[in-house]
Amino acid sequence: MNISTDPWVWIASILSLAILSFLYKENPFFRAAEHIFLGVANGYLVTFYWHRILMPILFRPLFQQGDLLLIIPFIIGMLYLTRFIPRISWLVRIPIAIYMGYWTGVLIPATIQAKIIKQVQGTILTAPNFQSWNAGTMGIVWSVTVFIGVLCTLSYFYFSREHKGVIGVTSRVGIVFVMIGFGAAFGYTVMARISLLIGKLQYLLGDWLGIIR
Amino acid sequence: MKIYERLMTIDRRIIYAILLVVVTLPLVFPSVLKVTPMTPVEKLFTAVDNTPDDKALILDCSYAPQIKAEVEPMAIAVLRHAFKTRKKILVLSLYVEMIGLATRAINQVVEEFNSVAETYEDSLIYGRDYVFLGWQPPPIVPMLGMGESISNIYVVDYYGNQTDTLQIMQKVKNYNDISILVALSGSTIPISWVAYAQNRYGLRVGVGCTAVSGADFYTYYQTGQFTGLMVGMKGAAEYEELVEANHGVKGRRVASEAMLSLTYAHLIIMLFIVIGNIGFFLHRRRK
Amino acid sequence: MKKRIPLILIFVAGLLGVISFVIPHPSYQVYDEWMRNDLLRVLSAFAVVLALGSLLRVHFDKIRRKRRNWQYSWLLLVAFGGSAIIGLFGGVAADGILPTTVRSFSFDIQTLYENIVIPLASSMFALLAFFMASAAYRAFRVRSTEATLLLTAAFIVMIGVLPLGYSISKHLPAFVQWILNVPNVAAQRGIVLGIALGVVATSLKIILGIERAWLGGGE
Repeated sequence: MNISTDPWVWIASILSLAILSFLYKENPFFRAAEHIFLGVANGYLVTFYWHRILMPILFRPLFQQGDLLLIIPFIIGMLYLTRFIPRISWLVRIPIAIYMGYWTGVLIPATIQAKIIKQVQGTILTAPNFQSWNAGTMGIVWSVTVFIGVLCTLSYFYFSREHKGVIGVTSRVGIVFVMIGFGAAFGYTVMARISLLIGKLQYLLGDWLGIIR
Repeated sequence: MKIYERLMTIDRRIIYAILLVVVTLPLVFPSVLKVTPMTPVEKLFTAVDNTPDDKALILDCSYAPQIKAEVEPMAIAVLRHAFKTRKKILVLSLYVEMIGLATRAINQVVEEFNSVAETYEDSLIYGRDYVFLGWQPPPIVPMLGMGESISNIYVVDYYGNQTDTLQIMQKVKNYNDISILVALSGSTIPISWVAYAQNRYGLRVGVGCTAVSGADFYTYYQTGQFTGLMVGMKGAAEYEELVEANHGVKGRRVASEAMLSLTYAHLIIMLFIVIGNIGFFLHRRRK
Repeated sequence: MKKRIPLILIFVAGLLGVISFVIPHPSYQVYDEWMRNDLLRVLSAFAVVLALGSLLRVHFDKIRRKRRNWQYSWLLLVAFGGSAIIGLFGGVAADGILPTTVRSFSFDIQTLYENIVIPLASSMFALLAFFMASAAYRAFRVRSTEATLLLTAAFIVMIGVLPLGYSISKHLPAFVQWILNVPNVAAQRGIVLGIALGVVATSLKIILGIERAWLGGGE
């Protein structure tokens, strides 16, 4: 056992224990740690926005190098602050509209291409898809399974018609695929959560208490 | 209290305590478990390994402190791999709350290599061998903008240097000079890299993700949109294994060390689920 | 005017976003780059100012009105003020005007991040392992065929992805890969397609001014 003498390791460990104390019940130590987290995390955020965005991208070029075009983003950006002035608070909608509008516009073709066209291309029954499995003739079987699975899953989530007849059958097949998919996701989720606990214990038992190397 | 009631109502504190003991003991008394890399991780490793000399790779460390345990070992393994094979590497983060973790990973691995380097040539030199671009918001700005000019987006690097004055950046101008981008993340950031940078500029994207996202991401891996995929701590352990086995890089393998704990914890959770269901069946039979 | 101007702006900005993707002509790209790299990047920074302003206002208000647990708001404000001063004047890489080392003790912004933000955030998520174990034990009941299927797939994946799976049978990890690559992909892809169509529809509704929730309340 080789306990750390670094004051920061002690601070980090005590704060960690304060959070973990929530397992027993909500308590003042947990609440204090939670508020400290919010405070420091936001202080960190301010640091980087000032030093790496506002200064090099806006203030220095605008006020030191005279890039007057930047006056436009500066003024529109300042409109965000009208949120705190009730009489003209509606002006906050202007920067939000520009920001949200542009990204929403960019999102449409990007989503269609990455999540619809490419996914459909990966599903349809073509020779390259059969070969992509590197499984010989079984590649055809796996491609057909994925093809049927996708259609049946879609039919399961199609609620505009009652699940009777053909849709009834396909949606019942669909639920089989969905349950296997959710099962796999759950299996992985267990791994994810345990990993985070292991990471914490590696720190407390290793860096702090020196029980493990 | 009847047996089935007991089986169905184990106190949560008992579950917590057992889980804690089961996870802790293998950490205190470690034993080596052989990790066998799976195909998606091998593909990622090969893609990084095959980066030609005239191209660089980008490592996107967009993982939050919350998921550090899962993803940081991936970052360290990829950095060790890149540095050992002398690939030029640009590191960045897409969110401000993650940039400190990228700093940590870079500092750790650079220190590992430079502490054993004997000559200037052997050493990892900032600007010559790697660049830490830092962070520029919002994520879509670097994703799209780096396709035209990396230096225009990252005017200054993390340390405040003008990026266009750095040695690497004389040859690495935009995505044309990038062999692959490895996105390490616990969110849908890798899909955004595909949607914006890959669709428009043809950038190859390899992924390291948390296990929570693993099952969702297989659909992008199957279409080839993701060149390779490492999932969760096990994926990190597989990459660590590949780096050590193929390039002889020795160093602490945090993810591999956790495998025994991870195994026991899985078994105990499965046992709890089975116990709960036995109680449930007995209860139903009684009814 | 209070609603019409934002609705016109969101339509125009949305259209410009779509066009940027379909017109890769250099003359348009110059404009598009300015829009992204200058205008929107600066707007994102100001959005953070707004968010921080709101956070501080809530906590000052809580202290002023002595609402429940108001004492903790002081902690937040002190932690925020302290770290912001260290970061703003001490610099990103301890290169500012404020010295951030006293003898061998450093307190630069990266040190604060590594020893306060990381441990606190990682501890919060470490808690989830306990809750997940307890919830799985209590709620995971094999009540139907579907639940049995889910549980079976989960158990196979749990064992198969671990080194233990390879020890049991070298075919088990391969079988897990098959589950992930075939039935899992089919299900996830169905869901992805559904979500993608929903995203496109919602985006169109926002740009066309049909979806107006973002305007908030009031006039």
